[in-house]
Amino acid sequence: MKYTNALIFGTNDYAKEIARNIGKKYERVVIFAMKESEHPQEEGAEVESFDLSDEWGELANTYDMENTIAFCALEDDAQNIFLTISLRAAFAPLTLVALAKNKESASKLTMAGANKVIPVVQTTADMIVDILERPVVSNVLHGILYEKSNLKIVQIEVQDAEYFSGQYPADIDWSRNHGIIVLSVIHQGKTGEFIYSSKAKHHAIEKGDIFVVVGYEEDLKAFEKLIGSRMV
Amino acid sequence: MGFAKRLFVDFFYFLQGSGTYRQIRHFVYNFLENERSKTKKYFDLFMMVLILISVVTLVREVKHPIDENLLFFNYYVISIIFFIEYILRLWVVNSVSQTIITHYENDVAMGEEFRFFKACTAVLQMKLRYLFSLKALIDLVAILPFFHQLRLLRIFTLFRVFKLFRYAKTFRTFTSVFSSKRFEFITLFIFSSVVIIISSVLIYVMEANNPASPVNTLFEAFYWSIVTIATVGYGDIVPITEGGRIVAVFVITAGIAVLAFTTSLVVAAFNEKLDEVRENKIVNNLSHKKRYYLLCGYESIAKEVAKNLSKSEHGVVILDEDPARVEEARRDGFDVLNYDPGSIESYYKLGLDWHLQVKAVLCLRENDVENVYTALTVRSINKEVFILSLLNQHANRKKLEFAGANEILYAKEIVGMVSREFIGQPVAFEAIHALRSEYSYIKIEEVFITARILQRFVYVGDLEAPKFRVVLLGIYKREHERFYFNPIDSMLLEEGDCLLLIANGVFIKEFEKHLKKR
Repeated sequence: MKYTNALIFGTNDYAKEIARNIGKKYERVVIFAMKESEHPQEEGAEVESFDLSDEWGELANTYDMENTIAFCALEDDAQNIFLTISLRAAFAPLTLVALAKNKESASKLTMAGANKVIPVVQTTADMIVDILERPVVSNVLHGILYEKSNLKIVQIEVQDAEYFSGQYPADIDWSRNHGIIVLSVIHQGKTGEFIYSSKAKHHAIEKGDIFVVVGYEEDLKAFEKLIGSRMV
Repeated sequence: MGFAKRLFVDFFYFLQGSGTYRQIRHFVYNFLENERSKTKKYFDLFMMVLILISVVTLVREVKHPIDENLLFFNYYVISIIFFIEYILRLWVVNSVSQTIITHYENDVAMGEEFRFFKACTAVLQMKLRYLFSLKALIDLVAILPFFHQLRLLRIFTLFRVFKLFRYAKTFRTFTSVFSSKRFEFITLFIFSSVVIIISSVLIYVMEANNPASPVNTLFEAFYWSIVTIATVGYGDIVPITEGGRIVAVFVITAGIAVLAFTTSLVVAAFNEKLDEVRENKIVNNLSHKKRYYLLCGYESIAKEVAKNLSKSEHGVVILDEDPARVEEARRDGFDVLNYDPGSIESYYKLGLDWHLQVKAVLCLRENDVENVYTALTVRSINKEVFILSLLNQHANRKKLEFAGANEILYAKEIVGMVSREFIGQPVAFEAIHALRSEYSYIKIEEVFITARILQRFVYVGDLEAPKFRVVLLGIYKREHERFYFNPIDSMLLEEGDCLLLIANGVFIKEFEKHLKKR
């Protein structure tokens, strides 16, 4: 889904980094600052005030909530959970991403209705451990994921299943035939499975499946032409 | 300066400059005195066995005939070994050549004639100071059973047990616990002595003239006082006069006080030393560990990192100056030392061999000032060690780089990037994260190409990865510092190459076995 608006709640460094990283992907980025807190000056972002006791329903008059993503990045975990639950209660279709300091807060935020929770401590710690213990894996995946190398990871939706008619993802030599590596496949309405898993082995390629593919841009484009289109 | 003096000084300069002499001396020092030396541990063990043989022989000799050879071994061989050790310790305890040369150079610097006798006196004083130390006296006593024909000297065999204090660290700790409360113990000893002397005299005065009393001599009075104050009370000597019993009441009361005071002193001394004992144990254990992570600070991210790294083959050692955090790390089951990571002394106390022992230093305080300080401290000691640091404020990145950190992680930036990727391609994002997760059954692993693997596999195609249902994502060539995605079958493998494999964990293990098979 392509979102048009991004609402970032909070004015701390995390919120600023989120604004900096996602700014170019949205038509409108709005930072919501707590009424008593300092209002930031972020380039390209509007700043509005809010209070936890606000009546959130009014937001729907300004933003199309189905095409909006909200980031709950308040410093205090309790306030962040309260904000998440308030937004979820007010807007069922809104996509909510919340930051959590620890695992305990992460599970509470999920219960409060966040679609995705980023546990700050755990994410940072995992990255440190990866750098130390698996430096090559860390370097390569980091490059792929955060677009710091020529290699790319993309999601491609199968629109023309005829080319692979009746074939199973695990039986195809993707790397030799197409110069790409398929990591995972999501069958319509189902959860994602790595193609190397036994479940994926028993499911033929169908229209509507989503492939998670790693490769160079040229090979990816060629593959796209063959079966479908890239999801952005 | 006279010829003899010149010759004398030259001789010591020659010794000081001789590599062989220094090597031998260093070897003997390591053997006898260097706590970190492995050879010392074996030597200590050997000496403890000798002591045990000595004591067992002595005890058995009382009522049983002993083999002549064993007696010879006990009285002569062991004594000679102890004598050699005594002489060697006397040699390495301090350097004669260094003292003579220092005196000579001082005299020359002052423009005076070399004072030969003053230098010799200094050497003599130095050696005598050692000879009259408690340790050296015990060593000397342990040699005396050599003259076992004198029955009294034979009993000195038992005194060899005291030598255990030299060889067993636990014994040394025990001694240090008592020496830390020396003043209190001396006070207690004086108090007890005064009570014993006064009560001995009093009981003698009260009881000695009574024909029915068992106290007839001052020695019996003294014996009664000690037995009573120690709260032993054998009952073989009891006061029968009224005056004697009054004295007994006071001595018994004093005895309880002495016992209580002694107990509390010992407990307090051990409590105070407990942290030090624990610390010594950790430092001692660390000297055997290799390639561990030195984690500076134990706050939220550090806790998570420590927990994850403890599952790896490399261990984790935590340094933190805050006692509360140290206690928490200890409760979490980590090797932790209450040392300041920003102090050079902390690392000297650890006696690190940076190259062999430390895999990386992690500055994980949630305070950039502390991290910069720690990174700078470590870098000032060792230029090579890998330093990873947390960055808390973006403005401080340059300072950390300047302090010598090799890798800097800014948690806020990571969160920003994660958010961007998640909103852009959530499915791809989850797939990559699942690959990295330790809970996923599909793994991405690194396998390094060794010389042994190269004996059987020359090209990528030879690896036959698809046969094992393993996907070769790519090869990282360390020499070119480049990652080759999806390599072709004809690519040449080289030693040090790193294969990135994706598959079920079990299949990866099978594939690794296949690679490493002879």
